[in-house]
Amino acid sequence: MIRSIIVSTLIVMACDFAQSTWFGAIAILGVIPDLGLIVLIWVSYQNGYVAGSSSGFLSGLAQDFISAAPIGFNAFIKTAVASAAGLLHGSFYIDRLLLPVALGAIGTIAKAIVAGLLFLVFGSKLHSYDVFDAPLWIEAAYNGLAAPVVFLLLTPLKRLLRAERGRE
Amino acid sequence: MREQGRPERRGRRAVPPVLLAASLVCLVVSTRSLHGVPAAVGLTVLGFFQRGFAAVGDFVTDTIASISELKRLRENYHELAAKLDRYTNMERGMADLREENARLREQLGLSAEIGYQRIAARIVAKDPGNLYSTIIIDKGVGEGIRKNMPVIAFQDGIEGLVGKIVEVGQAVSMILPLYDSGSYAAARLSGGSRFEGLVGGQGSVDDPLIMKFVKKRAKEEVLFGDLVVTTGYESIYPPEVAIGRVREVIDPDFQTSIDLELEPILDFSRIEYVFVIKPTEIGPAKAAGE
Repeated sequence: MIRSIIVSTLIVMACDFAQSTWFGAIAILGVIPDLGLIVLIWVSYQNGYVAGSSSGFLSGLAQDFISAAPIGFNAFIKTAVASAAGLLHGSFYIDRLLLPVALGAIGTIAKAIVAGLLFLVFGSKLHSYDVFDAPLWIEAAYNGLAAPVVFLLLTPLKRLLRAERGRE
Repeated sequence: MREQGRPERRGRRAVPPVLLAASLVCLVVSTRSLHGVPAAVGLTVLGFFQRGFAAVGDFVTDTIASISELKRLRENYHELAAKLDRYTNMERGMADLREENARLREQLGLSAEIGYQRIAARIVAKDPGNLYSTIIIDKGVGEGIRKNMPVIAFQDGIEGLVGKIVEVGQAVSMILPLYDSGSYAAARLSGGSRFEGLVGGQGSVDDPLIMKFVKKRAKEEVLFGDLVVTTGYESIYPPEVAIGRVREVIDPDFQTSIDLELEPILDFSRIEYVFVIKPTEIGPAKAAGE
């Protein structure tokens, strides 16, 4: 399981680096897709909440260091979203299109809800999504569209990313 | 067997809550601004990888772009050669004007024009998420950059305010741009009216800047396209740096002041290089936190 956590954390971090350096070119109205989140959802869904939340915490913490967000902000959001995705572990059969789209979009909305809850607790020190603003919905749609492709790309890495069975 | 498995399973179930609690602890500590050291160390380490990713991206983009670039360069060469001829003539006139300007300034009793020491830096990355707006540059502590130093950029020959340094690593620094919703700069209208206010962003590079707390009577005098610049009063930003131009006047009845919607002077999405201004040039006391 430790190998799976380390590898998935590194992949999510690589996605974050790519988002911060290359993805400006594919931004829609300034909004970029969150590939790291999609990878995290896939890993959590495959491995359960323990491995997922650990990857979420570590990759979120790394994201906090390269962002203006206070340390712990992305760590909390990613841990929470990964834990939720991990709870669904093995509940559905992941098809090629519909479930990935749903997981990508719903994962983004879950991220926004958790950010909103943190905003309620910590106030203006944190940023949160505005439900009535386009960026949240653009990101949800973007992540939903990107998820089938990301899930497909992750399939060959399944052996590397999957935690050993029977551990949870 | 089952009895032994239970505590282990219970222990595993405790992992997500423990991690969530750890995140919250980090958040509590960092929102109270106690995050200086860990944040700087994290930025230093991860900024190294970010620079690597940026370099790979640049290499691929540059390789593809170089083909069309060659053709464009040839055209530019001819164009610039013609311009050079014109500028050679203008330079002679400039020397005379400079001399005359210095003489007149002396007569008016003005001190010498303040020059800022600028540290040129290249933008290597932006925020990996959509909630925060940060810019990462390829210069850090090693080049003399410190927290809260102002950052400017030139675009189409105009000097404009970009933001300020919020975190510094060994070889990278983080800028909080003016368009971030948590960014503010004391500003005033550059024309005759000189009304002052506070300019802040709305969180998106595409959204206009908002100048708040402008006196109600400014409504009669503010014109579309008026330039807004930094005041320099008790601010980390140097004076007279362009911020934006007035696009709309917003006058809510319930407010005692008006808001001005500004079109940023810089197109933030096109900036590639910035200049960090050393605080010694604008007043040593302004580098707060240093």
